[in-house]
Amino acid sequence: MININIKKTLHGVNGAMSLDIDLSIKQGEFIALTGPSGSGKTTLLRVLAGLEVAEGEIEVNKSFWLKNNKSIKAQKRSIGFMHQENALFPNMSILQNLLFVINDLELALRLLSLTGLTKLQDSYPKTLSGGQKQRVSLCRAMMRKPDILLLDEPLSALDAKMRTQLQSEILALHKEFNTTTIMVSHEPSEIYKLSTRTIVLENGHIIKDGKTQEVLLKSQGSQKFSFEGELLELKEVDVIIIAIVAIGQQIVEVVVSKKEALDLKVGQRVILGTKAFAPTILHPSL
Amino acid sequence: MSQFQASIINIQKHDALHIVTFQTEAFTLHMMSLELDEKISVGTKVLLGVKASSVAISKGFSGELSYANQLELEVHKIQEGELLCSLELKAKNFELESIITLGSKNRMKLQVADTITALIKSSDLYITEVL
Repeated sequence: MININIKKTLHGVNGAMSLDIDLSIKQGEFIALTGPSGSGKTTLLRVLAGLEVAEGEIEVNKSFWLKNNKSIKAQKRSIGFMHQENALFPNMSILQNLLFVINDLELALRLLSLTGLTKLQDSYPKTLSGGQKQRVSLCRAMMRKPDILLLDEPLSALDAKMRTQLQSEILALHKEFNTTTIMVSHEPSEIYKLSTRTIVLENGHIIKDGKTQEVLLKSQGSQKFSFEGELLELKEVDVIIIAIVAIGQQIVEVVVSKKEALDLKVGQRVILGTKAFAPTILHPSL
Repeated sequence: MSQFQASIINIQKHDALHIVTFQTEAFTLHMMSLELDEKISVGTKVLLGVKASSVAISKGFSGELSYANQLELEVHKIQEGELLCSLELKAKNFELESIITLGSKNRMKLQVADTITALIKSSDLYITEVL
């Protein structure tokens, strides 16, 4: 069990803000931490890792990492930390990079095998692709068999195919070592695939905490198929109005009645919704 | 979209699927739904919605139809376009809009003050807001 009850003043783009977190995490949970930029996600990971100070308490498996302003050093915390940018030693081989953390050859070889890197163990970081480097970073983060694995947008610099592969490997290692994992991510598909619980931070506070599916599923009333967009145009055609709405990179059309259109204004944020029974799924090849 | 207040009087459940029955002042309505919001239970008051283009009309029909919602209403107003027409339907305080083709309206000889049956599939009815 991990209990976190911390406070810290942050200085963001919108001035001073208080990071105020009260959170209990069960051993083996995979938690996704999401929310707008500057909401305190990375700071929370850094406080857990002992890289930043905060007031309060952090208790991990009945041992206090932070209490009464006394803090255990980062090196003494059972943490694995993986960032978006890897920080591998360029003058060491992949295997040496892992053994630098802890001299456990058996574990290093097992991790390299689990992530399909066995053949590259004697290669040097500069010869690896971005995805391979992130795999090595993941293995290195696991070398201490950490109680907590912290992932700070670990896959955001990778292409979609590589992301999918690494997501599977992260999940495999999480299960293999029964680690408690906390991952910062903005990608709903990634959060859905990996995590069982999702916590949303905003302005340093937890605004949502629940089962991933419940937190992620945007629904409007009983309409499960729901997207937020910007109303670009209302075109009157016959007795109906065609509303043009931008959602992400796409433009879609929705038919509304004239009566409905009375409440709509071009430029406003709108939510498009329909029931889960109405949409059809087409295969891209069709 | 037409909206109207209703109270939930029954919920049938099978795994993630639900059939919810509502009572409005004038009608009993049925809605097919996946998982329901946890705030929703028997007795909850909600605002129901249906797209005008999802409301079909029948007039002088005899026989059985599969529509779970068959509401007897009066045609209050007709607005004609080139290809479509919008019908304003009423019963007591209940208002519903239907958009059908002008061809259908002409074929059915629909006129203001006609009594018709509005047909809504249970999968086309939805909750817009829990009150």
